[in-house]
Amino acid sequence: MKQGYRQVKRMTPAMRIIHWVNAICMIGAVVTGLYIGHPYYQTFIADGAVDKYVMAWNRYGHFIIAIIFDVTSVIIAYLYFFSRFEKPYKKLIPNAKNVSEFKAVLVNLLTLNRKKEFDSSHADSFNTVYFTIFHLLLIWMLLTGLQMYVHGLESGISSIGSWWPVMLHATTDWTVAVCGGSLMDVRISHHMTMWLILCWVVFHIYYQVWRTIFWKEADIAIVIGGSKFVKDDTLH
Amino acid sequence: MSDRVEAVKKLFTSKSSRIETNKGETYYQELFAKCEARLNEMRSMQPANKLDFTDILEDNGIDRREFMKWASATTAMLMLPPMFTPLVADAAMMMNRAPVIWLELQDCAGNSEALLRADGPKIDEIVLDIISLEFHETLQAASGHQAEKQLDEAMEHFKGKYLLFVEGSIPMGMNGQYGTIGAKAETFHDHLLRCAENAAAVIAVGSCATFGGIPAASPNPTGAVGVMDVVKNKPLINIPACPANPANMVGVILHYVLTGQVPELDSLLRPKFAFGYRIHDNCERRAHFDAGEYVEEWGDTGAQNNFCLYKMGCKGPMTFNNCSIVRYNEAVNWPIGVGRGCIGCSEPDFWDKYAYERPMADAKIKAPTGGVEKTVDEFGLGLLTAAGIGIGIHAAASAVAGKRENSGESHE
Repeated sequence: MKQGYRQVKRMTPAMRIIHWVNAICMIGAVVTGLYIGHPYYQTFIADGAVDKYVMAWNRYGHFIIAIIFDVTSVIIAYLYFFSRFEKPYKKLIPNAKNVSEFKAVLVNLLTLNRKKEFDSSHADSFNTVYFTIFHLLLIWMLLTGLQMYVHGLESGISSIGSWWPVMLHATTDWTVAVCGGSLMDVRISHHMTMWLILCWVVFHIYYQVWRTIFWKEADIAIVIGGSKFVKDDTLH
Repeated sequence: MSDRVEAVKKLFTSKSSRIETNKGETYYQELFAKCEARLNEMRSMQPANKLDFTDILEDNGIDRREFMKWASATTAMLMLPPMFTPLVADAAMMMNRAPVIWLELQDCAGNSEALLRADGPKIDEIVLDIISLEFHETLQAASGHQAEKQLDEAMEHFKGKYLLFVEGSIPMGMNGQYGTIGAKAETFHDHLLRCAENAAAVIAVGSCATFGGIPAASPNPTGAVGVMDVVKNKPLINIPACPANPANMVGVILHYVLTGQVPELDSLLRPKFAFGYRIHDNCERRAHFDAGEYVEEWGDTGAQNNFCLYKMGCKGPMTFNNCSIVRYNEAVNWPIGVGRGCIGCSEPDFWDKYAYERPMADAKIKAPTGGVEKTVDEFGLGLLTAAGIGIGIHAAASAVAGKRENSGESHE
């Protein structure tokens, strides 16, 4: 370890696993989702239609990814409030401390690291808000996605019982009204939200790399090793 | 505030499009008894016209067997168990006891055309021929003051009993002056409200009458709206599609004659027996969809081999209608069958949101500001590019500022 620095733990193994599961799922969801929205390659398989199932496999993959996303979302929502490590909801409450920290981190970003007047050893309010935006976008994707999915279960039955379509209708039918009243609006919203998530990802990666380069605290290592390094003030 | 609370409540309690195809033995036994009683009551009533259903069937060369086949198919369409077949047949023969007033508002008369189907009428059309059509602006011989008198008399005579069919949207712009009718220049809006007041039920036929349809398409110059936006406190049934399928019109009237009630409706007030299922799930080209075999352009090899029309903008996956099962013109054919995609004509705002004949990702959408029309992907890529440019500027500026910091001052 570099002299004068101390190691701070920032992500538990569970958090890191969830992060990478989400990252891989998202790549898969975008690749298959773009195909579902507009099939961008042709099926060059010399079999009958029933054998090759290209769209069907894309949709299958998309749905499996969606289910993994569902599960990680539930875990993340739980950890937001009940994590024994760090409870992110505490950083979301707009009290004076969080607001001033949010501002200080934003100023740090906008002044190109000229000003850095906050403690960067723990998760900051700005990043927590930014991550929360992502989770909200993801929840919106889940709700609109499940609404489109239940259109195919119009008989009201499914292989796991009728509770499944009933539950999906009860929890997602309101998205139709919110999106603009037609089933097409839900699709457009689902597709548009993908672009918002991609924008989110681009800035997220940039910002973490930027922190690593300019703060010189090895922030990028958090998501792999779980910890970063900050100057140990007690030594000075 | 209370409006908003109501709106939110409605949002979370609105009836979903889920369909219950089997409601249990006791339910159907009770319904059967009720229908039988109602049919007996109707039998004692004086027919509103002299047309005899069996005679007309004979004149058209349709025998009893064919009629009973139709009756059992219609029973199935209405999602009733087979024991109702004789009742459906009875109800069809008593259709001349169901007075109907038909209004023609802002539209192309396409639903009247569908209703007439003069070329080789089959049982669905014959049933529609013998309904007691008391007033139909486009079809009746009377005109001018005579027509108005006929309407007034029909409304008076069948007060509270007639079914009001409405075809066409209602222009609300300029106080409704975009559409007026009769010598007194009554607006379509007033005309509809006056006729609906004493109707037993109002049936909006076709996409214009249900959701505003093509007249309501952006920018909606006449302020067109559907019947359900202006007629309140009346049993209302929507039979959308462009045009509405005569089979579904017959289904609704039959259901009414049989049970005296409107059929079970979904959240858009469409009868579930007709609009409970998605076109996509009963499409004959579904295998090609799953296989990823698509028509890439009109007339290509895929098109010649009946490949899926999804990439040509088919909206079957988001359209609920029974045309992939009952088809049009006595099951002769339907849009997918002739090699062109579904344009979602039975869904709200279909002209703006479904009928652009491209996949959804290539659909032109309006920016929140209203003006700019870009496709979803163009808009998304634009956002991503903007984010990329912003990041690029920040990165370059950070690099320059970082260097200055390193050369200017030293911390160590």
